[in-house]
Formats: sequence, structure tokens, C-alpha cells
Amino acid sequence: MMRLALREMRRAKLRFGFLSGAVGLLVFLILFQQTLLGTLLGYFTGALENQSGEVVVYNEEARQNLSGSLVSFDQIEAIAEVEGVAEVGPLGQGTFTVVAGGEEQEAAVWGYQLDGPGEPTTLVEGRLPEADREAVASSIDAAAGFDIGDEVAVAGTDVTITVVGLASDIRFSVQPVLFVTYETWETTAEAVNPDAPLFLPSAALVHTVDGVDAVDLATLITREVDGVEALDRAAAVDSLPGVEAVSQSFALILLLAFIVVTLVVGFFFLIITVQKLPALGLLKALGQSTSSLVLSVSLQVLTVCVGGVVIGALLLVGAGQASGDSFPISADPGLIVTTGSIVVGLALLASIGSLRRVARLDATTVVGRQNLGGLE
Amino acid sequence: MPALEMTDVRKTYRSGDTEVMALDRASLTLGDDEILALVGPSGSGKTTLLSIAGGLLTPSDGSVVVGGEEISSLDAKALTRFRRDKVGFVFQSVNLVPFLTARENLLVVAEMGRRDAKESRQRADTLLDELDLGDRGGNLPNQLSGGERQRVAIGRALMNEPALVLIDEPTSALDTKLGEQVMELITNEVKSRSTAAIIVTHDTRMTHYADRSVEISDGVLAA
Ligand SMILES: Nc1ncnc2c1ncn2[C@@H]1O[C@H](COP(=O)(O)OP(=O)(O)O)[C@@H](O)[C@H]1O
Ligand SMILES: [Mg+2]
Repeated sequence: MMRLALREMRRAKLRFGFLSGAVGLLVFLILFQQTLLGTLLGYFTGALENQSGEVVVYNEEARQNLSGSLVSFDQIEAIAEVEGVAEVGPLGQGTFTVVAGGEEQEAAVWGYQLDGPGEPTTLVEGRLPEADREAVASSIDAAAGFDIGDEVAVAGTDVTITVVGLASDIRFSVQPVLFVTYETWETTAEAVNPDAPLFLPSAALVHTVDGVDAVDLATLITREVDGVEALDRAAAVDSLPGVEAVSQSFALILLLAFIVVTLVVGFFFLIITVQKLPALGLLKALGQSTSSLVLSVSLQVLTVCVGGVVIGALLLVGAGQASGDSFPISADPGLIVTTGSIVVGLALLASIGSLRRVARLDATTVVGRQNLGGLE
Repeated sequence: MPALEMTDVRKTYRSGDTEVMALDRASLTLGDDEILALVGPSGSGKTTLLSIAGGLLTPSDGSVVVGGEEISSLDAKALTRFRRDKVGFVFQSVNLVPFLTARENLLVVAEMGRRDAKESRQRADTLLDELDLGDRGGNLPNQLSGGERQRVAIGRALMNEPALVLIDEPTSALDTKLGEQVMELITNEVKSRSTAAIIVTHDTRMTHYADRSVEISDGVLAA
């Protein structure tokens, strides 16, 4: 019975408010961790995740690691022949010391074939490169000398690159990124290391024919082209160094937080249910149906949890507003809804014990017992 | 039609491997506006009889007819509905829901059934006034004295206009003067509504408030 549940909560505002607050803090913790993980992983993998090639082809010995991979132009030609490949292009990737905003820093340079696979997909300002020595940089690094119009000099060379566009979430290995033409990358690599005999692409990027599944195509390329290993983009992102370790440690903390929420809600409702069993027994003796008593307790669990989720979401929004540009936190509504539903589901699961006690309550306990319905 | 007709009702409790005979072939008929005092020493079976009459316990044997309806064969769900609609209880010790105010303790039984909300509120206010609790309606049970709680429980028992009111030792926790006041209140309220009632007591000084008194000892009713 709705009115009964609400009346009790009104009489014990502090108690229920406290629990809602505790659930709210835990929900905030969970939301914050997930947001943090997303942002952090984005710093590691953004460039690969937000480029247009659906399949990434490495040298088979590179163990799915860009920095250890070299793919020959013969191999790229062979990839182009595989059925389901619409377009293939080289990706030249390397970390260079650059001077940006007057300071020396490390930046990852990504060279791709203009209009081919590998262009950044999350452009937020400016335009894509149209000529050599033009670049799209990660928007988060704009203030660090990578804003539109800024000139970035490659240290120890006479190569300078002009930023013409900004894209979100395209950092790589927590470094600023410059998406440039393949030729610019080649020029840069040569200028830094003039004695090297030749420069090969780090990987090949592939556009699939419409309707072809990237996972299937990756398998096909690996099988048909000698000396390469192809992965679909999502798998390539997941297998980047560090991603698994970071994800796993976060998953563990997340799991713990979910367990704590479940236990807190479960114990709380068990305690208050046991405390008021005499009162509930009295109501049953007076003619209150078992189902309405069970419903009443479920309604309280629901109210407390939804309240907690709202508190947690508000805290996340607050944290988002307080967070700086250097480490932005955004409140993703989808994440809040999923996390909220899981918390509510777990809480209901955790209160099954309490609900069962209410369901099994014997109305006859009220007769002859010298008490005041749980008053004393 | 009698309000209550119990015929050859037996009730045994099993505790461990011993059986306690709490009620032994009890037969009792209660007129539809009769007030009966049930008198007997502690442990004689008074509460057991009341619980069976009110559909809170099922008898081991015998028949119980309340307002023409045989209740000894009803299932748990039907008994719950029966208690809600037909019976008004005041349990042995004052039993109020601690997180509801005096007025809400009355309203809660009306809200269990589908009764008109406005009518229920008026009825609760009238009862509270008659029980001299007009200004205590908003108080929680722990803000009320023992006598006041007892009166709230009586009001609640009358709230759903029951055909049968069952009151278990209403004066045992009160001093003599307060006890007499409460007995007078109960009998006035019950009489003015032409409702049948059983009032359990072990105090023979209280029996003159009733139309008739029956004695019970060791589970056996004396005529
Ligand atoms: N739930 C129970 N289990 C076992 N014995 C009980 C139970 N309830 C009552 N009895 C026994 O039944 C007898 C009658 O009890 P009761 O009806 O409560 O008496 P009274 O109300 O007159 O004091 C007593 O001997 C009591 O010990
Ligand atoms: Mg008794």
C-alpha cells in the first residue's frame, strides 16, 4: 500500500534520507569511475578509435602494436585484392619531439592518405588537412600550442606543421596527436632520421565494402595476405597496450562498488524490516493483505534507490561542471540510465530476504504478545 | 441472526512433543447486539477463544459462524479479508502502528478496504471526538499516554463498522479508575452502534458493564 509506505518514510525522513544519500554517493562513485575510465582510455586509444578505417592491418609479428609494426606496399596491394575491401591506405605513425606553444613536447604524428581510410571522424572545429604540412590536432591540446593556426615545429628539423582543424578524443598514448598526410609523416620521419634507408607504413587501414562485416573481413585478410594480422577497429582498440590492464583494474573497483551498494541496501532494509515486523504483523492481523505489505516495502526500496540514483547523477553533473578543460568529465545520460537500472535491480534483489520475511509473517504473533507494535 | 455461534470448538497447541489443550469443546452464542464479558484466570484460553472468533486462529475442531458465515474452513486470504471487513480487534496489550499518528491508525484499516476516503476521515474524526482524543489525532503513539493509546485502539476497532468487536483485557494495564472509564467508553460506543462484543477480563469488578458474563477455566466454558 502506497500511502503506508510513504507515511512511514515521512515519519523517518532522516533514516531514509541517510540511506538515499549513501546510495547516492555510491552511485556517484560508480558513475565517476566509469566516466573516468572512458576519458582515460580515450587518452590512450582515441586516435585509433576515431579514425575512419574499419579494419587495421598489422605486420603479423607486431603483436597488434603500432610501434612495432611495418607493412610493405606489396602487402598493401595484396590487401586491396581481398574481396570485401573497398579501399586500403597506409598509416604512418610515430612519436616525435615537437615545439608547440614555445615548449618542447612529445606528439604522435599519424600520416594517412588524404580522403582514404584513416581520417579523423570527430572533427569539432576547422577542417581536415588538404595539403602536406597541415594537421588536425586533438581539441583537448588546443591550449598547449595545438590550436587552429598554430605552427608546430618538429625538433631538430626544418619541418613545421600548421594546425587547420581540431577533433575530439583523438589523443594517443596520452600524447597530443597530429593527423597529417602520409607524405608529411614520411618527410618528418626522414628529417628526424636522415640515415635510415627507407620508411615503411606502420599499418594499413581498410574501408570495407558496404554491408561487409569488419570482423569477417579482418579474418579473411589475415588468412589471404602473407605476413599480416588484421583486426577490426574495436578489437584493435581493445588490444592496444595498457587498455586491458586499465580496464581490468577499473572493472574490479566497479564490481566492488556494485557489491557494496547491494549489501548496504540489503542490510538496511533487513534491519528496518525486522524492526517493524511486529507493526506489520499487527496490520496483517487487522486485515492488511500480504501482497500489499510486500508491495509497500518494495516501494520503499524503489524510492530510496531512485532517490540515490538522482543524487548520484546530480553529483556527476556537478563534478562535470567543476572539472577543468585539461581533464573533462561529462555526464553521459545513457551511462546514468544503465548504471541506475543496475543499482535499482541489485537493490531489489538484495531486499528479497526482507520481502520474504514480510511475506511469511504470521498474523497470530500479535495476539497475547505484550508489546506496542514495535514501539518499545 | 446471532453475531457469533461457536459449536464444540477445540484448539490444541503443539509445543515440542507435548500438546496443550487451550480450548475444549467450547460452545457459545452471542446475540447481534450483545456485550459478553469473558472472565477467567491467566492461561485459561480467553485469548485463544477471541482469536478463533475473530478469524486470527483456526480451530482444531468445531464450527465457528460469524454473521451467518462459517469461517473455520476459510483459507488464509479469505480470513484476512474477513478480519478486515467484519471484525474489530483490540489486542491484549495496546497495539498501535508506531509510525502512524492516532488518526492514521484509525484510517489505515479503512484504507485496507475500498472505502470512501472522505467518509472515512469524517468517521475517524467523529470517533476520536467521542473517545475524547479530538486534539490528539496528530500525535504518534509514543506521544500518547497508556489510556490514550487504549482509546485509539478502541476507535480503530470500531472504524470499519464491524459486526463483531473483540477486546482482550482492555483494563489490565490501567489503574481501577481509568479502567472503569475505559470500560464505560467501550460499552457506550458498542451499545450506541448496536454491535456485538466480547470483552475479555480477569477482573470480576468489570463484568457489570456487560449484558452477560461467561467464565472460562482450563479451556472449558462454564454456563
Ligand atoms: N502459540 C502457543 N503455543 C503453545 N501454547 C500456547 C500458545 N498460545 C497459548 N498457548 C497456551 O494455551 C493456553 C491458553 O492461552 P491463552 O488463550 O493465551 O490464555 P489467556 O488469554 O486466558 O491467558 C495457555 O496454557 C497457553 O500457554
Ligand atoms: Mg490472554
